[in-house]
Amino acid sequence: MMQELHFALYAIKKNIQSSAELRTSFLMNIIGMAINNIAFIILWVYFIQAVGIIGGWTAADIIGLQGFTAICYGLVFSFAGGIKKLPDYVSSGSFDRFMLSPKNILMRVSTSSFTPSGIGDLVFGVICLLIYGILMHASMVQILLIMLLVALATIIFFSVTVVIYSVSFLFTDAAFVVDGLFTLFLTPSLFHGGAFQGALRAFFMFVIPALLVGTIPVEIVKDISMGKLAIVAVFTVIWLVLSIKIFNRAVRHYESSNLMTFGG
Amino acid sequence: MVFKLYFSRVPTGLIKWVLNQLGYNINEILILFAFGFSWYSLKMSDNSIIVTNLSKTFTFPVRSATAGWVKNLFSPEKREITAVKEVSFSVKAGERIAFIGPNGAGKSTTIKMLTGILFPTAGTISVLGLDPSKDRKKLAYRIGTVFGQRSQLLPNLPLTDSLEFFGVMYGMSDADIKSRISELVELFDLSAFIDQPVRKLSLGQRMRAEVAAALIHRPEIIFLDEPTIGLDVVAKKALRDLLIKINKEEKVTIFLTSHDVGDIESLCDRTIVINHGTIINDLPTNELSRAFAYEKYIDLIPKTSFKNFPSLLEGATYFLKSSEKITVIVDINKLSVQDSLKRLLELFVVEDIDVYNTELETTIRHIYERDSAR
Repeated sequence: MMQELHFALYAIKKNIQSSAELRTSFLMNIIGMAINNIAFIILWVYFIQAVGIIGGWTAADIIGLQGFTAICYGLVFSFAGGIKKLPDYVSSGSFDRFMLSPKNILMRVSTSSFTPSGIGDLVFGVICLLIYGILMHASMVQILLIMLLVALATIIFFSVTVVIYSVSFLFTDAAFVVDGLFTLFLTPSLFHGGAFQGALRAFFMFVIPALLVGTIPVEIVKDISMGKLAIVAVFTVIWLVLSIKIFNRAVRHYESSNLMTFGG
Repeated sequence: MVFKLYFSRVPTGLIKWVLNQLGYNINEILILFAFGFSWYSLKMSDNSIIVTNLSKTFTFPVRSATAGWVKNLFSPEKREITAVKEVSFSVKAGERIAFIGPNGAGKSTTIKMLTGILFPTAGTISVLGLDPSKDRKKLAYRIGTVFGQRSQLLPNLPLTDSLEFFGVMYGMSDADIKSRISELVELFDLSAFIDQPVRKLSLGQRMRAEVAAALIHRPEIIFLDEPTIGLDVVAKKALRDLLIKINKEEKVTIFLTSHDVGDIESLCDRTIVINHGTIINDLPTNELSRAFAYEKYIDLIPKTSFKNFPSLLEGATYFLKSSEKITVIVDINKLSVQDSLKRLLELFVVEDIDVYNTELETTIRHIYERDSAR
């Protein structure tokens, strides 16, 4: 396990070096994504100022929600960006090289690519959570909760992404379907908790766990709810185990192909 | 000690009694068992690859002309194609094997099953005593792979980074990686472009680098799928020479698929021909022409010069007609070499005669064509 982690970190380092070789594209991606996210949050803050508190959610809560989601997205798609390339790897046959690797396939695929724009998301997310902490005068317990929830939410985000992208193995040219499914997961994770009530809230918590990424963490930090924290922790384990099992089963459907590709 | 532990778990008294009743002594049985086991181990260690009744079937949806678009969309008909059908062969350690066949014959599918990329539908595979579908990781440490149409290198980084990357992936120590890279740089003459980003290498340089990367962890077998595709004649020769060198110096078993006859002829001492998913021939490469050539070429050099080109016997055709030289192709299924020579000497006054077999390329084409016509 330690050897796998050591190689995963080494692969991430090489990916960053590889992306940084193309300096202009690297920097433009990071800066561009940060600007994009800032514009998005300004929009939300003006909206909240205009209509006041929505379903119990203040502007600070929405900044917190954006922070959690952006960090999850940034961490997963910058350092484990290979998972997003799975449809392309499978359809082109370049997934072969992961099957030939002496490492864990999921870890090898995940760390096979680095997306610089993810760093923009990550930086933006950290700034959001700092602002959130300041605005809510966070106690030490709340700061620790934020840190723990970032880790749990990132694992859930990664696991759900793995499950969605595993669809790539089941049929040809799955990119469009996978993107659609991912949007179905990501979009609700960006909306505040007041937007989802009753059955819809249950659906986006237990079936498509979008609310576990940002909404529920913000609620836990606000209310210092250990019960909800336990639920998130249990779901983190369930989704992680489920995603690994589903991925490993899906890999058995891989049929390779003979298109020309490059490594990484 | 091991036997003691083993026998402590089984009713030895009962076994001894049964053996005694059958007239055997337990020590004799143990000696026989040890002998048999040693023979089996020796036999297994001799073979790098053992493939038995290997099959692979792919299923895909097909449009039905009679069904409506809704049925075609939601419940299409399924068609099954058998890419590899009950293939069996074995490869000895240190052999250089050409695994050839026309496009779609099942070469790549077989090589992908041998390396653990694809899971077989039926049959068994043992590569270095491991089952690729179950022991994928263990096997990866002991084999190397090169796919001519697919690069494993990091495109944006210098070649040295790619080699180091593979070294770390195979769990080699820093010192081992360094010394192995130096060895490979010397062996493959990579020093001129070792610091260049991979994307800026020529195809010939890249292929040499691919093979070097595949050898970083000192594999026992290297699988090469069309390694010389797109290379010029100089680069092809350099790569072939290198493969022979690593086969001889590092005792690496070479398993190669290629459409290039030069690869087969100059590199491989044994050729397995596959078509329609089944093995149609498996024999030493130098016997391939002799066994399957049904055409002989006869060159005639004139005493002065050739002026007339009269019609030949059935089974013989002109391949080249000129005043300085005539080449006749003889189909030996229709006309013997003796009869054709006799007739040619009646027709022409010659200074010199040369009779030779068809080139390997023609022979392979004949094998493919003959099999397709079946």
